[in-house]
Amino acid sequence: MIEFKDAGVTAPDTGVTILKPTSLTLTERRVSVIGANGGGKSTLVRLINGLIPATTGSVEVDGLDVARKGPEVRRKVGFLFTDPSAQLIMPTAIEDVMLSLRRTIKDRDERTRAALDALEEMGLGDRADVAVGSLSGGQRQLLALAGVLAVTPSILVADEPTTLLDLRWRAHVGALLRSLPVQLIEVTHDLDSAARAERTIVIDDGAVAFDGDPAEAVRFYRDLMFGRTTRTAAP
Amino acid sequence: MITPTGLFRARETPLHHAPAWFKVLLLLATTVAVIMLDDPVSSLGIMAACLLLLVSTQPPARTTTVAMVGTLVVAALTSAIHLWRGDWARAVDVSADLIAVVALALAVAASTAMTAMLDLVSTLARPIRVILPPETLGLMFALLLRALPEVAQIYLESRQAARARGFDRNLRALLYPTTTRTVGFALELGQAIHARGIGEEGDQIESGKRRARRSRRSSAGRDATVSASHTPGAGTGIGSDEA
Repeated sequence: MIEFKDAGVTAPDTGVTILKPTSLTLTERRVSVIGANGGGKSTLVRLINGLIPATTGSVEVDGLDVARKGPEVRRKVGFLFTDPSAQLIMPTAIEDVMLSLRRTIKDRDERTRAALDALEEMGLGDRADVAVGSLSGGQRQLLALAGVLAVTPSILVADEPTTLLDLRWRAHVGALLRSLPVQLIEVTHDLDSAARAERTIVIDDGAVAFDGDPAEAVRFYRDLMFGRTTRTAAP
Repeated sequence: MITPTGLFRARETPLHHAPAWFKVLLLLATTVAVIMLDDPVSSLGIMAACLLLLVSTQPPARTTTVAMVGTLVVAALTSAIHLWRGDWARAVDVSADLIAVVALALAVAASTAMTAMLDLVSTLARPIRVILPPETLGLMFALLLRALPEVAQIYLESRQAARARGFDRNLRALLYPTTTRTVGFALELGQAIHARGIGEEGDQIESGKRRARRSRRSSAGRDATVSASHTPGAGTGIGSDEA
């Protein structure tokens, strides 16, 4: 369970409010977050694993305060970025997954086997020894996902994971994400994907503008974008 | 994109099974040996052994060929200079030495996973753990290698963008985007490292002794927190594991 308790973010140098104090309790297995660019979606989800610290209020994951128990929280929360290139550190696919497993598996042979298994699960078994730079965008995103899932997080936060992908990869990665046995918090501009969640949050101008049924949320967001409705406070 | 360490392939060869420290030591010893030995016959022997070792690791053909062709060109030029001076023995010796060292370095790179190298760097850095934690140094090493091709790619793209806008000779049009994008890449990479919990508490393979020490320390910390919580004004983060 993820709990935002009046969590807000203000830029320390400019004093600009990026996210107004927000209170949310996320218990659903599939939550989508939609909204305009620069609205505060990424800031909201980065609060979950402490990538951005809350300047007001607090965030708790399974009862753990993110500000105080950051490393423990990050072991529970996996994070998938928009651009997988920034997430991949090691030169080849298998080495990158092995890096994730360094913390949990001491024996190198065992680590190699576990990394290969993780790659097989993503359909990248035959790309294990390939240089990361030689993989396609979709394969890189799958590799980043393999690295995240290798350490078995219970929550996965995905910040626009399909934005840079073509239609085929978008469908593949999207379906894969939805099939995972974890709580998925997905920031997306893909409204079809957002509508498949159990709950959708619309963020606008640094605040929750709508929170509830995905179909209604998408309708609300479309109206908001095309000026057919005004911003309202979240229920 | 070319990665400087993308040569590694998981294989079942003797060199793949050898520990990283042994391979690095072998490389160092061979380098010292070829420098010390002036005998062309010995140099040719060492070169043959190194080439055999390289072949035994079954490295990726294209990358290895490119690296070896480059080395052969340099070796040929160096030999030509020595031959021109009439010193054929030196020509053979220097060329064989160069080829031997490069071949062995490629063999080590092709048979050693980056993570194994990272662990080795961490182990070697233990004597300076007070100044710099070994795990941090190992990570810095990996990030350095990761950043090189990325920055080169950013530079190339920025140069193409500058040319497309007709700024072929404008240094600012090249340096500004290269710098800002490099900083942006560094920030994103930093966030990704943070998100993956790399370099954080628990991100190290601990020995039994070290684990016991840590456990003793944390139980002592807990005791301190418990006793502090019974005093007025206590509970201000003592014993917390703040990131």
